[in-house]
Amino acid sequence: MNQFIIVIATIVLAPIAGGLLFGIDRRITARLQGRFGPPILQPFYDLFKLLGKDSIAVSNMQFVWIYAYLILMIASLLCLILQLDFLVLVFLLGFAGVALVLGAFSTKSPYSHFGANRELLQILAYEPVLLLLAIAIYAQNGTFLISEIVSHQQPLLLSLWPLFIAVLYVLTIKMRKSPFDISTSHHAHQEIVKGITIEYSGPFLALYELAEWYEIVLVLGIIVLFWANPLWIGLLIAFAAFLLELVVDNIAARMTARWMVRLSWSVGLTLGILNIAYLYIMKGVF
Amino acid sequence: MTDGMMAIAILLPVVAGFLILAIRNYFARGVVVVITAIVLIANSILFAAKGPLTYTPPEGFEWGTLISVLDYAILVLYLLLGFKLRNRLVLIFAATQIIPIVYFEFVMKAHMDLRPAFVVDHLAIVMTLIISIIGSLICIYAIRYMRDHEEHAHVDKSRQSRFLFWLVLFLGAMNGLVFANNLFWLYFFWEVTTLCSFMLISHDKTQIALENAARALWMNSTGGTAFILAIIYLYVTQGGASALSVQNIIGGGMHSAAMVLPVALLCFTGCTKAAQMPFQSWLLGAMVAPTPVSALLHSSTMVKAGVYLVLRLAPAYAGTLVSTAVAVVGAFTFFGASALAISQTTGKRVLAYSTIANLGLIIACAGINTPLSIAAAILLIIFHAISKGMLFLCAGAIEHQIWSREIEDMEGLAAKAPLVTLITAVGMLSMFLPPFGMVLGKWIALEAAYKVPLAAIFFVLASALTIVFWTKWLGRLLQVVPKLGWPLEKLSPSYSFPLWTLFIGIFVVGFGIGPIYHYFIASATSDVIPGISMIGSGWANVVLAGSSAVQTGAAVRGSFPVWVLYLVLGIALFLPMLFFGLKSTQLRQVYLCGEQTGGTDTDEWCAEADIKTKFILGGYYFQGTLGEKALNPWVNTVAILLLAIMIVCGVISK
Repeated sequence: MNQFIIVIATIVLAPIAGGLLFGIDRRITARLQGRFGPPILQPFYDLFKLLGKDSIAVSNMQFVWIYAYLILMIASLLCLILQLDFLVLVFLLGFAGVALVLGAFSTKSPYSHFGANRELLQILAYEPVLLLLAIAIYAQNGTFLISEIVSHQQPLLLSLWPLFIAVLYVLTIKMRKSPFDISTSHHAHQEIVKGITIEYSGPFLALYELAEWYEIVLVLGIIVLFWANPLWIGLLIAFAAFLLELVVDNIAARMTARWMVRLSWSVGLTLGILNIAYLYIMKGVF
Repeated sequence: MTDGMMAIAILLPVVAGFLILAIRNYFARGVVVVITAIVLIANSILFAAKGPLTYTPPEGFEWGTLISVLDYAILVLYLLLGFKLRNRLVLIFAATQIIPIVYFEFVMKAHMDLRPAFVVDHLAIVMTLIISIIGSLICIYAIRYMRDHEEHAHVDKSRQSRFLFWLVLFLGAMNGLVFANNLFWLYFFWEVTTLCSFMLISHDKTQIALENAARALWMNSTGGTAFILAIIYLYVTQGGASALSVQNIIGGGMHSAAMVLPVALLCFTGCTKAAQMPFQSWLLGAMVAPTPVSALLHSSTMVKAGVYLVLRLAPAYAGTLVSTAVAVVGAFTFFGASALAISQTTGKRVLAYSTIANLGLIIACAGINTPLSIAAAILLIIFHAISKGMLFLCAGAIEHQIWSREIEDMEGLAAKAPLVTLITAVGMLSMFLPPFGMVLGKWIALEAAYKVPLAAIFFVLASALTIVFWTKWLGRLLQVVPKLGWPLEKLSPSYSFPLWTLFIGIFVVGFGIGPIYHYFIASATSDVIPGISMIGSGWANVVLAGSSAVQTGAAVRGSFPVWVLYLVLGIALFLPMLFFGLKSTQLRQVYLCGEQTGGTDTDEWCAEADIKTKFILGGYYFQGTLGEKALNPWVNTVAILLLAIMIVCGVISK
């Protein structure tokens, strides 16, 4: 019963938090660019407006995939909130990404395909980092369960700080911020049409927006895990990371997909691998 | 009873094969195949019901002599093929097998009578279930497939009988291979499967088919050579025939340090058959064969023989450097093949690379060599056989719809063949996404990989690459113009029955993994490597017990909520597919900067000078960075080094 309440609360509260974060994002970005910016609640107004529009689509499967994207994103967020297996969370998040890509592929539209192919490269860039994080967590805690991270007294950040740096750019990719806003961008001036979401409109686009709200809560939640005990430090770190992303977004330009994959597979993976090697040596497994 | 069961498992396919060879009528031949299939499936279920047993053929007939004679016959045939094909490598590696055997049998006068000749334990039962059920389904599929294949190729003289002969015969050899306890007999069945593979790859008799068949033959013959050397080494150092008993080798009781080298050689043999790098080229070449061959031999069963051997011998090299080397060899292949798969433009080659990759993963699990990783390996063998067997059958069905194997030609297949696309899509999703069994296996493998961190890192990289190549291909199939109500295609029952059975099988086995683990895999795991079961066998969850290897070992290492994840899949994908529908008034054309020529169901636009042009979308293949030309020199060099290290580890362990 208790878990049931947690599930309902997560499903209801997470998008509120996510929407507010996006509102703050738009406001701060506007200020950084010398504009006044919309009200903090603007994302909610946008969402309700989208929901009220006619449902218009370019294919039947398009709806199925975008809806699956939302459901899978909620499922992986629940994995985090219910403190289940971290690897299962990463697999579900991967599935969500695949659903988004397939939604864009499921229509014969050139711009949508651009976005889909680029989103795939984004998955290729962040997926190994998250999996390495899972292995590092295991090397540290002896279990893949998130509940163990939460109850552990020693924060992960102290021994996993190289992976924390790598996870920061996963956050950039996931928030679709420059320089990694490859598949779709918040900045109109550097976007080819609208990338992966071009063919979505009205309520279907609202589903996508909603999924993004869940996603930001999820990714920031992963960052909270680095200092889960006491929780408020983790929350502060996550919020600081969020603000850092906004600054980076406004001082960097969008880079190419190839550059992103190269960077992730060289710097990110090196950080991760060295981190794991260090943990193994400390534990005396070698 | 046991007599009959063993005879049906090994000899019935041979008898049925000759019967099929004699029958020239399409319908009658089909009936024989179907009856054989039913009997084999029933027999394998009987094996499962009866449980483990040992068996030695009754006295009064010289089975050992027969096997020796047939061994020579096969090797002499290889020599003749070497001459006929003018292939020096085939000749050399046939000679390197035949000379040691002659020396062994006639100069050393080795006698190889062994009791029991066959040991059917839980692992062998799992294997025979896979071989009999999935193999039989593929044989049923082949009945119609080969007719369409020949009609399309306009052959003058039908060779369908010959094809089905080798296909059905192969099932018997494979059963013999997993049951055999006598290494020398195992070697015989091993060679029969190599022979079947050669005959089936070369079936179309084109130049390329013959070349690739010859390559498959010589590469597998290097493995055969290592096999023979291992047998002789064991016989000489351990003294006598009892050293050739698989049960003795893995059961301990022999001088163990001297065992490591022959076991490393046998692992090498397993790697050749499982097409591990650098031997991957034979499996890729084998894709020229008609698709049932790829489904049966080159994904779901024969290549699993290589994996089976490495897995079977796991206790014999446990705790040695060879074990770590095997883990790294497999994990590297998993990584390398997944990267190469991204650059492939041919559907069957993607499937082949994915097969090589997953076999690598399984071999790596054997090398990690803990009860947990062995359980992962067995799970992966089962799920891979179902999913990949089905995907190859889909590839065949697609080929017979569009008469092409190119991924670019499969563009928009969802419109031309919605049913096959649905089955293919589920097959692909089942290869790399939760809640399906392959991911469950990969999950256990990752959680078990702490012992060999290098393998774990390769697993991580390969998992990410896997997502890319499957999604990319799937995206090509799904791309359609905005239109509602695609008409369903008609499939012959010979196609649709195996396809739908495997389709349902993915869900039944995946959903029921709790009880299946409890009744089959747990005991199969403890047959391979004795130890405490690390997996909680609830019905709905798979829970892994903690390990003491990491100092702060928690009670539970990880948990995979299988049923909940299936529920999520149902809510996420199947509910909307069943209940959501658009009206045609809701459809709009895609965004083409306003240059589209007509309504929603057209893909024409006004190109230069307003000429109506169909627009074409292509996939990404990254051939510059991930193509075979760019990567092969690197991965092959590393793979050769790793295999050499594995053998060296075997030598120094002495």
